[in-house]
Amino acid sequence: MSTVFSHGRLRLYLLKLLEESPRHGYEVISLLEDRFMGMYAPSPGTVYPRLQRLEAEGLVTHSQEGGRKVYRITDAGREELDRRRDELATLEADIRSSVRDLAREIRDEVRGTVRDFKHELKQAAREMRREQRHENRHRQERSEAPWSGDWTGSEPHVRGWTGPSRPGDWGGPSAEELEQRLQRFLDGTHQLAYRMQLTEAQVRECAAILDEALDHIRQTLRHKG
Amino acid sequence: MATWTIEEPKQLTFDEVRRLRVRTVRGSLSVVGTDDQARLEVTDIRGMPPTVRYDDGVLEVGYDDWSQPGFLSWLLGRRKWRRHAVVSVAVPRDCPVDLGVVAAGVVVSGLRAEVRVRVMSGDITLAGLTGPVDAETVSGSVEAHAVAARLRMQTVSGDLTLVDGGGEVHARTVSGTVTCDLAAAGSGEIRLSTVSGDLVVRMPDRSDLTVRLQTTSGQISSAFNALKRTGRPGVQVVEGLLGAGTGRLWANTTSGNVALLRREPEEPAVGDAR
Repeated sequence: MSTVFSHGRLRLYLLKLLEESPRHGYEVISLLEDRFMGMYAPSPGTVYPRLQRLEAEGLVTHSQEGGRKVYRITDAGREELDRRRDELATLEADIRSSVRDLAREIRDEVRGTVRDFKHELKQAAREMRREQRHENRHRQERSEAPWSGDWTGSEPHVRGWTGPSRPGDWGGPSAEELEQRLQRFLDGTHQLAYRMQLTEAQVRECAAILDEALDHIRQTLRHKG
Repeated sequence: MATWTIEEPKQLTFDEVRRLRVRTVRGSLSVVGTDDQARLEVTDIRGMPPTVRYDDGVLEVGYDDWSQPGFLSWLLGRRKWRRHAVVSVAVPRDCPVDLGVVAAGVVVSGLRAEVRVRVMSGDITLAGLTGPVDAETVSGSVEAHAVAARLRMQTVSGDLTLVDGGGEVHARTVSGTVTCDLAAAGSGEIRLSTVSGDLVVRMPDRSDLTVRLQTTSGQISSAFNALKRTGRPGVQVVEGLLGAGTGRLWANTTSGNVALLRREPEEPAVGDAR
């Protein structure tokens, strides 16, 4: 069971370890364990035969030092390693990446997507409900008490009129467009602000723009009114 | 067969995993599909150490005293609630997974095979699944992104959300909301229900669905003019045929609102924006 090093990857990594420095067999085994955080626990039974095989292929040699075999890489071994650098990089990346971290990234990404999406749809649903209510009210008003369109009189004579405190009715029909625009403006701004991480500077800047716009509107209404 | 008792953080790799089955108590559980080798990581272990079994391609993580049929009766021992482990598994994409946890968040991603998740208390996150998915939690939400085939999700007190859904959807919650974005509606059956939460569905302009939206005391609004109000006193219904009407959309709530939104053709799904 269990090798990270399928398809000749163990062989590749053994070459890499011996390229770093000549090592004896036991050192190779404990290094494999260290580097891979216990993910790969190689046994002497898998490592020694591979070293022997590498030696038979002329990629490593060994010498006896103090009663132990010390393995070192040959020029042919270095060539093979150079040819497979990309593969080695992939192998190391694969082994370091933790499933837990990956899963956490996925979870955070899905959460972010879902949060944006829910917000967007909630807004859209609310807008649609408001529009449809609006339409219904219009339909009702038209059928119950169609007015003449001359709407400048101070005494409203439309049934269902509940006074100027109802925001939908301030200013008469011509102002309705303004109201809708304002609402659209609010929704738009809200959506923009929600999607981005606003900095304090941006908030201040936006606030200044709003103040300026209000001033303009105030002036316009004062002059024309 | 190989067995490990995981007393301290450990990582294991496996040459072949054809089935995965996990039963844990607290902590968290993640399963991701991989094109590489299957591997298992267990960390943050408290209480009794979990056991890992590997036998002929079947990988199981659980507790030794868990008796086969009765997950619930097994839970009745109070001490078992102290068990805690963070379990993360990478399995081949075509490996079916069966997950059960008591109180933990679960993440499942990148699989083509069948997925089954049962949680008592905790959120379920699903991403990039093309096989049939069955996700159930009691108190927690289900958030799904790009689940293409059949998705059944159920909770009592959480929200259910599907972004970029493809095929059949069954979603049922009592007090939470259901929010769905359907990429291509027209084949399977979409059944959504809540008791008190709102239902919001967005789907493409050209959908082939037989639609019936119903609420007892909420409001229904729809962006599709082909649908007509047909309710009788006490029940509001909006229904009708869209396109060829080959699929079915059925949404029912007692006191929530229902909104059926239109996805403009040029407007990509939220998830496509990356």
